[in-house]
Amino acid sequence: MTLLLLFNITNGLIVGAFYVLMALGLSLILNLSNVINFAHGGFLVIGGYIAYAISPYVGFWGALLLAPPLTAVIGLAVERVLIRPLYGRDPLYSLLLTFGLAFMIEDGTRFIFGPQGKPVEIPAFLALPLSNELFFITGYRLFMVAVVFVAVALLFLLLRYTRLGVRIRAGTLDLETVAALGINVRLLRSLNFAVGIFLAGLSGVLAAGQLGLEPTMGTGLLMPSFIAIIVGGIGSLPGTLIGGLLIGVASGVTAVFFPAASEAVIYVMMAVILLTRPRGLFGEEGMMS
Amino acid sequence: MNADNSRKLIVLAAIWIVLLLAPYWMAPLGGYTALATRVLVLGLAAMSLNFLLGFTGVLSFGHAAWFGLGAYGAGLTLKYLALSTPLAILGGMLLGGLCGALLGTLIVRRRGVYFAMVTIAFGQVFYYVAFQWSSLTGGDDGLRGFARQPLDFGVFKLDILTNADTFYYFVLFCFALAVGAMGFILRSPFGRTMIAIRENERRSRFLGIPVERHIWIAFTLSCFFMGFAGALYALVNNFADPRGLHYSQSGDFVMMAVMGGMRSFWGPLLGAAVFVVLQDYLSSITVNWMSFVGLLFVLVVLFFPRGLLGFLQRSKA
Amino acid sequence: MNVLEINGVTKRFGNLVAVRDVSLNVAKGELCAIIGPNGAGKTTFFNLISGFFPPTSGTIIFDGNDITRLATHERVTRGMARTFQITEIFPELTVFENVRIAVEVADGYRLRPWINRTEAARVHKHVETTLKLVALDIKADRLVGELAHGDQRAAEIAMALALRPHLLLLDEPTAGMGDQETYQITQLIRRLHRDSQYSIVLIEHDMRVVFHLADRVCVLDQGRMLAQGTPQQIAANEAVQAAYLGSAA
Repeated sequence: MTLLLLFNITNGLIVGAFYVLMALGLSLILNLSNVINFAHGGFLVIGGYIAYAISPYVGFWGALLLAPPLTAVIGLAVERVLIRPLYGRDPLYSLLLTFGLAFMIEDGTRFIFGPQGKPVEIPAFLALPLSNELFFITGYRLFMVAVVFVAVALLFLLLRYTRLGVRIRAGTLDLETVAALGINVRLLRSLNFAVGIFLAGLSGVLAAGQLGLEPTMGTGLLMPSFIAIIVGGIGSLPGTLIGGLLIGVASGVTAVFFPAASEAVIYVMMAVILLTRPRGLFGEEGMMS
Repeated sequence: MNADNSRKLIVLAAIWIVLLLAPYWMAPLGGYTALATRVLVLGLAAMSLNFLLGFTGVLSFGHAAWFGLGAYGAGLTLKYLALSTPLAILGGMLLGGLCGALLGTLIVRRRGVYFAMVTIAFGQVFYYVAFQWSSLTGGDDGLRGFARQPLDFGVFKLDILTNADTFYYFVLFCFALAVGAMGFILRSPFGRTMIAIRENERRSRFLGIPVERHIWIAFTLSCFFMGFAGALYALVNNFADPRGLHYSQSGDFVMMAVMGGMRSFWGPLLGAAVFVVLQDYLSSITVNWMSFVGLLFVLVVLFFPRGLLGFLQRSKA
Repeated sequence: MNVLEINGVTKRFGNLVAVRDVSLNVAKGELCAIIGPNGAGKTTFFNLISGFFPPTSGTIIFDGNDITRLATHERVTRGMARTFQITEIFPELTVFENVRIAVEVADGYRLRPWINRTEAARVHKHVETTLKLVALDIKADRLVGELAHGDQRAAEIAMALALRPHLLLLDEPTAGMGDQETYQITQLIRRLHRDSQYSIVLIEHDMRVVFHLADRVCVLDQGRMLAQGTPQQIAANEAVQAAYLGSAA
């Protein structure tokens, strides 16, 4: 029983780590540009398939290094061409556009790579479990958590100490003032979007190594990421981080006792949060209205 | 002012004539009555959503939930409670509307993208319930084993089960009731406060309108209309599908409203017609129809953000 | 008798004290102008009166009732109407429709799903009288969003008047206007005050307007009430001059 619980908590943390990467990217874009990026799961899929396509040539490590920036470049192009014209319009439009984009990406990858799952080879030493008893803790799972940890730490350092990061945070609080200070808001939004998509691409590569690739995998991760943001508090990146881990573990633990509800539990958490603390765990007052 | 009014009347008459004669002109154009029935029901759903979206300015992206609940409500009523079409419709409408009313109290303080996000997420709750509660809902396979019942008026019976045309007119009658109610509300003082909130929330508040309460009422009404449409949809198919509650279905409804023209009362019906026919056609010629539907979303947003009717009105002006 | 009694109101935002211990009484039929350098807390003070947010401390009495904790729409229902520095109207509706919404809300019809002929006729008449008062009756069928700035401001005032308020709060009614428009709006406010006996509190930058209209002038500076008095007293007040010159330098 303890082992089962431990197994599911570990699972939950790993799934939660994915939610965190996805949700942080979504959150960045939502906070600065007021865009709900429905295609975020699509970018995860793109990252995964890029890794799949280039790993025969550059190996797993090369793919891990190259796929996220390549995804970010695609994201940048999408932002320039499709999303930029929609800033300042009713958020309905960017929502609908990225919604359609998600369809296209899902169907497009199915068209190119087929509907079957594709494996991405991971280095042999990472695939082994650490011990017989704790069979579920493979090297790769630890590695994933480590990568997510490093990525999140780097993101927070970037936001805290670089000029870009400071501007992104300032823009989130008060875009008009930032623009009045002569900062190029368009560029800021583009770069911010690219950072968000980079995180989606990274989760795509990691997910490919763990779960194998399917065109629909991004869609499945999108909704929990939304909930991570709502639970953590819209507008707060640390909130998103905690929210992601929390719902990951919660659904992992529920899977032990009441498997059918393991997905439903995150919605229940969201409902409870909205009832008792409408702005979310770490949200600023007034941020959501 | 008077010329304007008479033009409106002519357009209105034209719409109803087209709808009344649909079974006669659909067939020669390569359609079939059942397709017209579907357009009518999905059009009603899109108009119900637009009651909130276009006239109160509140973006709900989870409205498929109320539609789907309406379908399940009707199906479950027929299957377990009463073999009566009117009661089934009532059951569906109540299930969708009451669930919407309850959820509304939770989310009515949110605005804009945040409202959209919370409605998407909560809509999925109902999707999961329908999906997981197999013993009641049939789970992934959907709810089967019920059929709409002929209408018995004592002196005569209307066979809406097997006669497609009769069923179409029954649906059209229901559509007229709902649309009439919507139009009536929008022309009332309450309807004008909805438009006021859409136009300027701050000004509305400073006119003494309790904005949250009014948004909640509009949201709830919209959910009841949505449940009504969903119930009709279950009767159309004799089947309720969990995917009818999914957020991608919500996206389709929003698309119908936008594509037809959010700011016009009839726009969403036109949008639904174009959307349904296009989707029907695309899925019959290519397996990659999803890409094309996605492309349609992108193109409409970039080039026709005011929708077909908005585009027509603007190019005339 | 006082329409409005504000007793020692303070508003803090975190460490910032935007309004500090301000008291103000407005008598029935009085026109009181609030002036002060930028950042003096004038708009925050207005927002406290109209119920944007509750004060950190102090009380606000309106028509003899404590409204300190009431929501905005409840204050409006009790007879307080306001306009904004940046005009808040319903741009895609006509002038008539803008004012009709105000009248219907004021008459208690806002939740009604229908309205009968007599009621509709009464509403109609009230809208027309209100529009006449601000000289917009000839533009009743125009979209408000397409009107000139001065007319939009007049439409906003008409919506406030349609509520039959006991107190009008006008936030910089002449902001962003040319001389001609400023003159017209000033005349309108003067008529409302002198002829129709409205109690009015207004924030204004333009001193010509203030001295032309006000019975009493209140000077806010750094969140505090620096001075109150007749326009003549204020003009002669050294502290006021220092505040203005100090902030201008």
